[in-house]
Amino acid sequence: MEKVIDVQSLRKDFKSHSSRSGLKGAFRDLFTRNYKVISAVKDISFTVNEGEMVGYIGENGAGKSTSIKMLTGILTPTSGTVRVNGMDPHKEREKFVRSIGVVFGQRSQLWWDIAVQESFRLLKKVYNVPDDVYNEHMNHVIESLDIGPLLDKPVRKLSLGQRMRCELAAALLHNPKLLFLDEPTIGLDVLVKLKIRNFLKEINEKYKTTILLTTHDLTDIEALCDRVVMLDEGQIIYDGELAKLRSNWGEGKQIEFQFGEQVSGEQLQPLLKELEAEWTKGDRDNVWIANVINEEHVISEVIGRVVAANRITDIKIHEISTEEIIRNIYEEGMLNG
Amino acid sequence: MKHTSIFFLYVAQYMKTRLTYRVDMLMEIMSDLLFQAVNLIFILVVFGHTNMLSGWSKDEIIFIYGFFLVPFAIFGAFFNIWDFNERYIVKGEMDRILTRPVHSLFQIILERMELESLFGVLTGIAVMIYAGSRLDLSLSWYDPIVFLFMVLGGAFVYAGIFILLASISFWSDSRTSIMPMMYNIGNYGRYPVDIYNKVIRFVLTWILPFAFVGVYPSAYFLGREEWYGYAFLTPVMGAVFFGFAIFMWNIGVTKYRGAGN
Repeated sequence: MEKVIDVQSLRKDFKSHSSRSGLKGAFRDLFTRNYKVISAVKDISFTVNEGEMVGYIGENGAGKSTSIKMLTGILTPTSGTVRVNGMDPHKEREKFVRSIGVVFGQRSQLWWDIAVQESFRLLKKVYNVPDDVYNEHMNHVIESLDIGPLLDKPVRKLSLGQRMRCELAAALLHNPKLLFLDEPTIGLDVLVKLKIRNFLKEINEKYKTTILLTTHDLTDIEALCDRVVMLDEGQIIYDGELAKLRSNWGEGKQIEFQFGEQVSGEQLQPLLKELEAEWTKGDRDNVWIANVINEEHVISEVIGRVVAANRITDIKIHEISTEEIIRNIYEEGMLNG
Repeated sequence: MKHTSIFFLYVAQYMKTRLTYRVDMLMEIMSDLLFQAVNLIFILVVFGHTNMLSGWSKDEIIFIYGFFLVPFAIFGAFFNIWDFNERYIVKGEMDRILTRPVHSLFQIILERMELESLFGVLTGIAVMIYAGSRLDLSLSWYDPIVFLFMVLGGAFVYAGIFILLASISFWSDSRTSIMPMMYNIGNYGRYPVDIYNKVIRFVLTWILPFAFVGVYPSAYFLGREEWYGYAFLTPVMGAVFFGFAIFMWNIGVTKYRGAGN
């Protein structure tokens, strides 16, 4: 299969000047400056094949944005090689960006004051898309994203969800082989999120568009991506199937008890004796969560013992969410499995 | 070819949005006119006290001012990127620019153009005709062509300086107050350089060559032969400065650090 993204020991260092404290320090700064080199991305390597949908995740400051910006040709790498769509993004920038689409959730691609379709017209010219190709492709995009009625409204009058769908359409105007999505569903309601996800799945199937998705909303990734690349402190700490991540780390269930009266940790502790389970306090009053391994007899045993000893007003059983898995991974640092 | 068609599409779009805010546009043109009038009055006041300024008469200086308005209007319409640092570097709009397949500076020029400024071309020509008729200047057939080159040279000198200043933002994103200062220095080019001392004259000729936007090219039309050498350097200086600015800009883009999210 064709490699769409090929990154080898990619690195980005930022030199930042750290100021000394106090007036005397400020004066010394005038003559000699202290520079600190901060590595935002430390020698990462990975490849993405055509048609893959990859979730690119990490906490704030993990190096996600910086590496995406190197992949899209915005930043120049300090060292290492990047080949995207067979090109070197920052060296052949103008040619390269024709082959990618970019959506930055917090930044608009569209012109604020003019109607959406006028923005599309400008972008069509900028990307030099021929009329027939544009019509065929965009009619389909406009229909699937259901933005037809919005086309003659200025962007500033659109709601966030409407704007986001238009942004997505704008990024796909030149039918790129590769799509970078940075927080595309931030602040959107569930219905719009679903619509966007369905649309992304559809173009992935129809055009074999490769998608690299960055998001804090892991439900997006669960819905779309088979593979995740996880970054921490500028390094890749996990690169593989989402399912495997879940099976290695998410083996277990959570049983959430809402107690009818005040209970304390000491009271509850003996109830889990000799079972592979432990308590954590819930976020509401009188709510405690038992984290147990995913085995029938343990689960029933825990519920049985707790119900026998206390008055319960509610019980819920959840699987451990991906979010929690990821939180656990970050808390424990490196991934071993 | 592609660039010209993009350019005209942007211009059309610009007109459309501007025409919906007609009052704004009118106000802008009015304030430009007022500003130009104040400058003219200043010249008249100075000449209320004296007849000559280092051998230049009142009408000659008014002519220089009129000439200056033309390249300045072109600069103001297309290259007035004084807020580049704030808008594109600090707010990170440069990210968006860099994901589009057109030269970054060209895109910024298109986004920041203010076509109202072009009105200054008319004022400038009117002032030159007024001063020129009082000075009995005669025009040869090739003078309009020379005028075009001089104006473009002057506009490119101005553009070059401001692009260079904007490029600094790629290396250091701290806010500076260089831009307003530069507008002041730019005004020095409207007066004959021989009224300044040697150092300033040198600076205005070779370092921040604002003299090529006003005095030097005007000297050609005023028939001041002692300045002809400098006058004919105008298009050259424009090309050199503009070229150098683009060169520095292109290096700057590779140093762009992006705004944090």
